[in-house]
Amino acid sequence: MSPIVIILLIIIALILHFIARVDLKNILTLYLLGLILYIFSFTVAEMPPFGHPGNPSFNEVPKRYLEAGPEETGALNITSSIITDYRAFDTLGEATVLFAAIAAALATLKAHRKH
Amino acid sequence: MEDQVVRLTSRLVAPFIQIYGIYIILHGHLSPGGGFSGGAIFGASLILVALSFNLATGVKQISHNAASVLESGGALGFALTGFVAIAMGGNYLANRAAGFPMGESGQLFSAGAILLITIFVGIKVASTITTLFYNIIEKEQ
Repeated sequence: MSPIVIILLIIIALILHFIARVDLKNILTLYLLGLILYIFSFTVAEMPPFGHPGNPSFNEVPKRYLEAGPEETGALNITSSIITDYRAFDTLGEATVLFAAIAAALATLKAHRKH
Repeated sequence: MEDQVVRLTSRLVAPFIQIYGIYIILHGHLSPGGGFSGGAIFGASLILVALSFNLATGVKQISHNAASVLESGGALGFALTGFVAIAMGGNYLANRAAGFPMGESGQLFSAGAILLITIFVGIKVASTITTLFYNIIEKEQ
């Protein structure tokens, strides 16, 4: 950022603090959020275009799934063949997360109940 | 809530929703859907009955003990399917490599372990959603 922008930001902060009577902590929070937005917008601008054939996600892995999936797994639904065959261990982790979530929710809800 | 229209409609519609949920679970390897979405639909039908009647009617459909057994059983069955694959000589959660019966592609009973895993996930998701809802709306005693 150029020094002019920084000076401008400081002037805005001073105006907000002394004239509009905004708390300094709130101004700092606002500026931090603005900084995060600034960085994230650069990340979004650098992202590959949606559906472009040259994207890094179009490598040999989806090609293998699409071409050999029905033959290797016997499932016509490619999504199902990925989540319950090629990446079944990941789905087991998902089921574990679900189990942990319901256990935690029940422990929290039933802790306040008299027996 | 004492509404005849809502009660009658939900009582008529609930079996069809349940059949649709079971259909989506069983056809997880053939058509869009699977264990998670089918289980959510099945659980939603049980929640609908509990919402339009009352909690006691809902609990009568699936008791707390049955729900917890189904929930643990779903997760356990999923994990055990992986160990069955090891016992049959493949890697953990292997399907064709372990020698599960593949059947003819496109038929209902095909794809080996995928059908089993989808059914277990469906049971687990349906009971989890229902248990969570019942426990949230249960009044403090």
